[in-house]
Order: sequence, then structure tokens, then C-alpha cells
Amino acid sequence: MSSATTLLTAAAISIFALGYASAQEPALQPGEALAEWAGIYAVLSHPRCANCHVEDDRPRWSGPHYGATRVHGFNVQRGTDGSGLGNPGLRCTTCHFESNSKDLHGPPGAENWHLAPAEMVWWQKSSAQICAQIKDPTRNGGRSLEEIARHVRDDKLVGWGWEPGAGREPAPGSAEETYLALERWADAGAPCPVE
Amino acid sequence: MRLTVNGRPVEIEADPEMPLLWALRDIAGILGPKFGCGIAACGACTVHVDGTPVRSCALPLGQVNGAVTTIEGIASEDRLHPVQQAWLEEQVAQCGYCQAGQIMTAVALLDEIPEPTDQDIDNAMGGNLCRCGTYPKIRAAIHKAAALKLAGL
Repeated sequence: MSSATTLLTAAAISIFALGYASAQEPALQPGEALAEWAGIYAVLSHPRCANCHVEDDRPRWSGPHYGATRVHGFNVQRGTDGSGLGNPGLRCTTCHFESNSKDLHGPPGAENWHLAPAEMVWWQKSSAQICAQIKDPTRNGGRSLEEIARHVRDDKLVGWGWEPGAGREPAPGSAEETYLALERWADAGAPCPVE
Repeated sequence: MRLTVNGRPVEIEADPEMPLLWALRDIAGILGPKFGCGIAACGACTVHVDGTPVRSCALPLGQVNGAVTTIEGIASEDRLHPVQQAWLEEQVAQCGYCQAGQIMTAVALLDEIPEPTDQDIDNAMGGNLCRCGTYPKIRAAIHKAAALKLAGL
């Protein structure tokens, strides 16, 4: 047997073994997996995340000093080209730079500040709706669940949700915790709640 | 650090956290951009970085990654920028405090949309406030500036 064949055979056995172990010993029981999703939903539906995952063209503002959630001031919009980068003359990056303003009510900042695509809508959506959306490649940026987990862990703009600057409530937990929760939920079959 | 402002190098010895507006006004002596709110909420401090409008009161010096253009840098040697010319012809300014920022945003708009509609103008100018309420004149001046620019004037 050639060395290449040996390697391929070993790889095949490893893959089989992994699949077998996964089938025999699921990482989480169904109820536990749904509880894991509930924690993920608490992050995705949090204002630091959902305020820029909107269905229409207007990012939202919210926080203790706003009373009710309101649309972003200054006629800020997604952009008539659908880019999420704002309109000519008034881009997101006209005010949002790479770091949070230290001044009260100053603009928060992170790399590549922009609105999420309209199909990735979380604002005012239920747990079941967001769960179905996050698993649908036509509405999640063409990502696998593993890619979504890594995106949550590594993307600087996503990470801003946990470090939003003074005066803003951060999303629950951390990027790393949410990444791990997504991994465990995906390994358990990524169950969604039923409405 | 060295900035390029209106095509010229400018040496700035300052904390990288200092807002660009402070450096322009207090160190470089470039007084066109104005301090209004200090939190990117009024637009009076608007300048361009590589052609994109930014609120210089909130942009830290250490994050300036490109050439800065202020209101002092948009005219050519013998001619005002079409937006400046239209501003005069339409007599837009009342107190005039916001106009440097208004004009810089309008210049950027026309660079991307040569013949803007009223909606394009509203979409671009929403972050530039005018306490005198000259918005109808601002809109008229931008339409006139578009015509002047397209005519090569």
C-alpha cells in the first residue's frame, strides 16, 4: 500500500469515527440545544446587534436615555444602492470611525461600520424567525453554521456589540462565548423553537 | 505626524486621540471648519478625507488615513468651486456658521451624483444642521451648483 493510500484510508477511518461518535454521543440533548439557542437569540435580538439588522432602510437608536427605540437621526439610511454604507454625502463612515467616541452621545465606532443586508433581519423578529433565517444561506450571507460561528467570533464590527462604549448596554456574554454556543448548537443539529 | 491638508504637508505634534478639528484649527491655523457640537451631530466641522466627508470634531488624528481637504482647499486659483459660487448667487448664508460644513457635504454629493434630485440632496445633507433654517436655499444652491459644474463653470 502506498503512503498516499495509507493516509487516505486513515483519514476515511477518522471521518467515519467522528461521524459515529457524533451519532452515538450527541453533544447536547434536544432540550439543551434549544436552551443553547435561547442564549444565542438573546445576543442576536439585543439592541446592540438588532438595531442594525433591520428590514427597512433605517438603523435604530435605543438606550435608557432614548425612551422608546427610534430611527437613527440625521436622515441616515441604508443607501439607495442597497450597500448598507449610507448615501453619497452621508456615509456611515462620515461619523463612525474605528473606535468609540469617548464623549457622551458621541458616535460609536468599529472597523467597516455599516448596516447588515436587509435579508438578515433580526429587529423585532421572534426567536423562531431568527433561527430559521440564520440557518438559511440565502439570508445569512451564504454561510455555513461553522462560518457564522467564526464570523461572530472574529468580525470586528460584530465584536463591537460586546464593547459598545460608555453609556451603552453591551450584548450578553462575549464573542467567544457566543461562538462556542453556536458550535454546540450546530453540533446538536441546530434545532429551532416552534412558534 | 504628517498630514496632507489641501495638497500641502502639515506637521502635527499632538496626541493621536486629538480630534482632527482641533489640529486643523489650533495647530495648523486652518479655521474654515467650525466647532459646533463636538460629537459629530451637527456637521459644522465637515472636511473630506480622500474625498469622503467626515466630521472632524470626532475623528481622532491617529485614524486619519488619507488626504484632508477643507473648505479652503476646494476653489481653484482663479475660480470658486461651483458649490461656493452657487452659495453666493443664491445668498444661502444667514449667520453662515454651518456653511463650510454644508458646502463640503454638497461638494461630495455632486462628486458622486452630478445631477441630484431633491431626495438625493435630502439624503446627503441630513447630518448638516442649519439653526437659521436656510434649508430651501441650500437645496436651491445645490441644484444651481450642479448646473454650474455640468456647464464647466
